[in-house]
Amino acid sequence: MPHVVAVDIGGTFTDLVAFDHETGAVTYTKSPTTYDNFVEGILDCFTKGNLAPGEARFLNHGTTLVINSLIQRRGAKCALVTSAGFRDVLEIARANRPDPFDLHYQRDEPLIPRERRFEVPERIDANGEVLVPLDTGALETVAEDLKRLEIEAVAVFFMNSYLDPAHEEQAVAILKRLVPGVYVTHSAELTREWYEYERTSTVAANAYVGPQVNAYVRRLENDFRSKGYDGSLFMMGSNGGLLSVDRTCRQPIGLVESGPIGGCIGAGAYAEALGIRNVVAFDMGGTTAKCALVENGRFTVESVYYVNGYVQGFPIKWPVIDVVEVGSGGGSIAWLDGQKRLHVGPQSAGSTPGPVCYERGGAEPTVTDANLVLGRLNPHRFLGGELTLGLESARHAIAAKTATPLGYRGEEGLIRTADGIVSIATVLMAGAVRQVSVEHGLDPRDFALFAYGGGGPLHASALARELSIPMVVIPPEPGNFSAIGMLLADARIDTSETFTGILDDALAAGMDAGFRKMEAGAADALARDFGSGDVYFERKAEMRYHGQRHNIHVPITGLHTVIEIREAFERDYKRRYGHADSKAATELQALHLSAFARLRRPDIANLRRRASSGTASDAQIRQVYFGGAGGLLETAIYDRDALEPGFAAEGPAIIEEYGSTTLIWPSDRFEIGRMGEIRIGCG
Amino acid sequence: MSKSTATRSKDTAPRIDPITLEVIRCGVVSITNQIDANITRTAFSSYVYEYKDFAVGLVDVNGQLVAQSTGGMPPFVADAVGTAVRDGLKIYGRERLFDGDVVVCNHPAVQGQHLNNTVMHTPIYGGPERATLLGFFALNVHWIDIGGVMHGSTDIFMEGLQLRTIKLWSKGEPVEEVYRIIENNTRMPVDVMGDISAQLAGCFLGRDLTLALADKYGADTYFAAVETIMAQGEASSRARIRDIPDGAYESEAFLDDDSLGAEPVPIRVKVVVDGEEMTIDFSGLADQVPGPLNSGYFGGGVTAARVAFKYLIAPREPANEGVFRPLKLILPEGKILSARPDAPMSNYSTPFPTVIDSVINCLSDALPHLATGAHFGTHSGFMMHGRRADGSRFHGHDSGHGGWGAGDGHDGAGPFRTMAHGDTRLIPMELQESLLPFRVCSLSLREDSGGPGKFRGGLGFRKEYEILHPCTLNTNLDRRKCPPWGVRGGKAAKTGCVTIIKATGEIETMGKAQNYKLQPGDRVILETGGGGGWGPPEEREVELIQRDLDRGYITPEGAVRDYEVRVEEGRVWRG
Repeated sequence: MPHVVAVDIGGTFTDLVAFDHETGAVTYTKSPTTYDNFVEGILDCFTKGNLAPGEARFLNHGTTLVINSLIQRRGAKCALVTSAGFRDVLEIARANRPDPFDLHYQRDEPLIPRERRFEVPERIDANGEVLVPLDTGALETVAEDLKRLEIEAVAVFFMNSYLDPAHEEQAVAILKRLVPGVYVTHSAELTREWYEYERTSTVAANAYVGPQVNAYVRRLENDFRSKGYDGSLFMMGSNGGLLSVDRTCRQPIGLVESGPIGGCIGAGAYAEALGIRNVVAFDMGGTTAKCALVENGRFTVESVYYVNGYVQGFPIKWPVIDVVEVGSGGGSIAWLDGQKRLHVGPQSAGSTPGPVCYERGGAEPTVTDANLVLGRLNPHRFLGGELTLGLESARHAIAAKTATPLGYRGEEGLIRTADGIVSIATVLMAGAVRQVSVEHGLDPRDFALFAYGGGGPLHASALARELSIPMVVIPPEPGNFSAIGMLLADARIDTSETFTGILDDALAAGMDAGFRKMEAGAADALARDFGSGDVYFERKAEMRYHGQRHNIHVPITGLHTVIEIREAFERDYKRRYGHADSKAATELQALHLSAFARLRRPDIANLRRRASSGTASDAQIRQVYFGGAGGLLETAIYDRDALEPGFAAEGPAIIEEYGSTTLIWPSDRFEIGRMGEIRIGCG
Repeated sequence: MSKSTATRSKDTAPRIDPITLEVIRCGVVSITNQIDANITRTAFSSYVYEYKDFAVGLVDVNGQLVAQSTGGMPPFVADAVGTAVRDGLKIYGRERLFDGDVVVCNHPAVQGQHLNNTVMHTPIYGGPERATLLGFFALNVHWIDIGGVMHGSTDIFMEGLQLRTIKLWSKGEPVEEVYRIIENNTRMPVDVMGDISAQLAGCFLGRDLTLALADKYGADTYFAAVETIMAQGEASSRARIRDIPDGAYESEAFLDDDSLGAEPVPIRVKVVVDGEEMTIDFSGLADQVPGPLNSGYFGGGVTAARVAFKYLIAPREPANEGVFRPLKLILPEGKILSARPDAPMSNYSTPFPTVIDSVINCLSDALPHLATGAHFGTHSGFMMHGRRADGSRFHGHDSGHGGWGAGDGHDGAGPFRTMAHGDTRLIPMELQESLLPFRVCSLSLREDSGGPGKFRGGLGFRKEYEILHPCTLNTNLDRRKCPPWGVRGGKAAKTGCVTIIKATGEIETMGKAQNYKLQPGDRVILETGGGGGWGPPEEREVELIQRDLDRGYITPEGAVRDYEVRVEEGRVWRG
C-alpha cells in the first residue's frame, strides 16, 4: 500500500499524516517529540498509526532542528576562512542598533568568534577580475590551524565572490583535501547576491548547522532504510518546497523555518481548491501567532531572514516564506506593569508549566485560562480529553493577578477581565495581520481568514471582526495542519543572481538570457534530485525606481518586453505603496528564479476525517461569554466529527474536535463545506 | 532608598476602563509603526530609507505627542512633530484647519533644525459628520535637498527654502503653486517630490486609521484614552526619578571646534534631581557659534534633553508628552542649542552626541548601574566627491561607526553610530566598490581602542581605502581633544583619526579634512574612537583580559599598559 507520509517535528509534539493513494484513507497520529533522538518519535507515530515504514513511498519531513540549533547555539565548532582584511565583517555586521534608546544594547555574539576567523591573501575586484590570486600556501597554514583547533565545519567567504566564485570553490576543494571529514561550505553556493555581511553571515550559519543536519538526515535515512523503507525522503524547505536529502546536506540553512511552512502551503492549496483567491493564513499555537498572505494560491517569499529577530539576531540570505509572528499564543501571560497597565505576552507559559488551568505549576494567567473562564473551552474535552482543565484555578489566577489589582470586582469583573485579556491578544494579532496586508497596500477585507493551529479557530472570528474580514475558513484537522500542508508541497529550488542596470531593451534581452541559464541549471538539479518530473518555473525581477533603495520582487513569468515588465512593476508598486511614477526610470537589482517539480500529492477533498457515529442533533448547550455581543449566552456545542458537509447553523456556537475548538459569534453563520471545512460568515 | 518627598504624582485614576484603554493604546502605537514601515519602503531617497531620517507621530488637539513610531531617529522622538503642529494651531487656529488640509513646516523659529527636516501634518476629524477634531497625524521627513549652499553656510538664509506652516493641500485638494515652489527649489526634484508623495500617503493613511479607531470607541472614550496614556507615561517617569538620589550633578566636555574656527566649544551640563522631577540645566553650554552647529530651542535644547532623558529614565516607555512632563529645562536664549532663527543650522545635530553623553555622565555616580562610559560621540562623516573615469559625478557618503561605553556587567558594544542616530546601517563594501572609485583594503576592529576598565569600552573600527581616481575628501571627526571618558574608575578610549598615506609616501593625520585632494594610489585610513570603560581596570577578571588578547581586541602591550598584568607567551598573569 503506497502511502505518502508527512512528519512535522514541533517543539512539543511530532505530528504524522499518512495518505493511502489506493484507498484514500488518511491516518493522523501525534507523539511527544523525542529530543535525544527525533527518529524515535517519528517511529512511534508510525506504530500508533499501525503503519510500517516499508509501506510508505514518500516521506516529507519538517523540523525545527536548524532554527533551534542556531538560537540555542548548539551547532558545530566552526571556523571562517576569508579574504585578507575582512575577518571582522562577521562581527561588525551592519553596525546598526535597532533598539534606539537602550544604553546597554548588545547584538547576539557572532556564530564564529574572532580567534577562529582566518584570513588568506586573495582578492577579486568589483568587476569580477582577479586582483590577487588565491594564496594556496596560506591556505595550507590555515588547514594546520583548523586541525589543531579540532574544527568541525568551515565557512569560506571571499569579497565579491558573487561576481566570480572561483576562489571560493578553489579554497573549498583544497580544504576538503587537507582537512578530510570536516564540513566545508562557501558563500556563493548559497547566494549569488552582493552584500558581504549578509553572505558571510549566511555561510557561517550554514557551516554552523551543517554537521548536525548531515548526521541527523543520514541517520533518519539509514533508520528508515533498515526498517524496510525504500521510498524517497524529502525535507520541507523554508521556501515552501521540498528538498532532496543531498541538497539538504549541502544547504542545511534551507531548513531554517521548516516548521511553520507546512501550514502556509496547506492554506494555499485549500484556498485554490475552494476557489478563494486571497487568504490570510493564521496559525495560533502555544507561544505565538503567525500569519502569512496567500494570494492566488501563492505565498510571499522574503529573501532575507533574521535568526532570533531583527533587533538582536543575524541575517540569512535565503528565501523564506514571509511569516509575521507576534507573541500572543494560548500560553501568553497576562500581566500588569508598574503603572497597572494590562499586557498580554510576549512571555509565555509555553507547554511547561503551561497555563494555570493545566495545573502543572503555572501561576500566571494566560490567554487559554481566559478562554476557559469565558466558557469557550470545554475543561473535559481538551486534546480529546487527555488533559482536564482546572476552571477554578484559572478563575483564581485571573482574579488575583489581574482583575482585582485593576479594580474589577466579583463575577462580572472577572469575566470582564478575562474578556479583556482575549481582546488585547486579538488586537496584537490584528496588528500582525495588518503588517502583512495593509502595509503592503492590501486590504484585509479582500481576504478570507484561514485559521489553524490549536488556538487559531478559537480566535479567528473575533480577529476577522477586528479587521472587517467577511469570511473565516477552518480546515479539517486544524491541530495537525502543518503536517497536512507538507503532504501538498511541490519540490522547489530557488536561485538568485545580482543583475543590475536601468531597464531597457538590451537589459531585458540580457535578463532573459540570464533566466534561461538559471532555468537550465535548476531543471538539471531537479532532475538529479527528484527524477524527471513535471517541471515549471517562476521568474521574478527584483526592481526599484532608479535611486531608491527598496526593491520589490515583481513576478515576470512570461513577460519579455520592456513595456510588459515596466507595467508589471508599476502595477505591483502602486498596489503596495499607493503611488507610482510613470516618468521615473526603473532599474533591476537581481533575478530570482523558483523552479518547481510537481510531485504526486493527495486529493485534498479526501483529507477530512470520516464522520463519527454522532449527528449534529447531539449538540449540547453551554453558557459562553461574548463581550460586546450579548454577554453570557446559551451556546450550542457541536462535535465536529458529527457535522456532515452541507450542515449550516447560526451562531453563537462552538465546534469541538481533537486539538482545537472553533468559536462562532452570535451574529455569525457557519456551514460545513464540501471538503469538510468550516466556513464562517462574520456578522 | 526611598525619598521622604511627598509624592507629587497626579491622581491617575482613569476615566476609562483599563481594558478599552489597552486596546486603544495598542491601536495607536500599531498605527504609527505601520506608517513608519510604509515610509521606509516607499521613500525615494536613501536618507529616509537607510538613515531612517524621519518620524511618525500622532498628536492631540493641542499639538501634544500621543504616540510615535518606535523606529526612526532619536532626535525626532522628542517633539519635532508636535512643535510644528502647535505652530499650525497658532497661525490658523482650529477653525481654519479643515478636514483635508495638509500643512508643511521646516522653519528655524519653529523646529530649529536644519531646513531639510520638514514636518507634514493633517487634522483628524471624526465623529458625526466628521465635525470633531481628534488630533493631528504628522510625519517629519528629511527632504534630501531644499536648495542653499552645499557646505559652509554662515546664516540660515544660505541653507535653502524656508516653509513656515504652509498649506500643501487645502480641503482635500493639492495646492499646486506650493508644489511648484518646492519642485523648483531643490537640486533633486525627483527624489524630493517622491519623498513628499510617500510622506503625504503616510499622513492620509495614518489619519484614516486613527479615525477608524476613534470612531469605533467614540470620541469621548478616545480622548479619555489619550489623557490616560499621557498620565501613565508621566507617572512612570516620576516613579523612575523618585529612585534617583536628590542632588545637583554636573559634568563638562567640549567639541574640538565649530568647524570654522579653532576654539573649543564647551558643553557644560547640570542635572538637578528633586523628588519626582529632573531639571536639565544647559546654561553652561557655549553661546551660539558662527559655524553651522546651531539649533533652536525646541529642535536643539528640548530635543537633546529629552533624548538623554529617554535613555536614562524611559528607554522602554512609548514616547508621548506625558513621559517628558517631569523634565524641566533651563536654557537661556542664544546658546548653541537655543540659537536665534537666523543662525546657520545645517549640521545642527553635531553637538547632540556629546550633549547627551554629558547628561548621562552627570548621573554616573547617582545611577551607577545604568550610566555607561562615554561613546565615541562624533558623527565622523566621511565624504568623497569627484568624477569617475567616464566623466560622471559621484558623491559617496560613508561614516565612522565607533565604540560605545561599557556598563555595569558588560563590555561596551559597537561599533555603532552615535546616540543621536537610530537604526543606521553601514553601507556594504561590495556596493561601495561597484559604485565609487575606491577599493576597500580592509575593515577591522581597532585593537586597544576601547577604554580600559573592569568592563572594557567597545571598539572602534579601522577601514582602509585605496583611491582609484582623483577625488576630494571631506571628513568631520570631532572629539579628538576630549576623548570618550570612562566612568566609575574606568579609563578613556582612543579617539578617532584620519590618516592619509600619499602615493608619494607622505603621511598626514587629521580629524577634519576639508576639500582634501586625493590622487590614485593614495591610501586613506579611517580609524574611529572607542567607548569609555566602566570601573577600575585592575578589577577586570584575568579571564576576560585573556579572551580579549586571544581575540586581538587588545594587544599584549595594551594589556600590560592598561591592566597591570604580565603577558608571557600569550598568557596573561596578574600579580
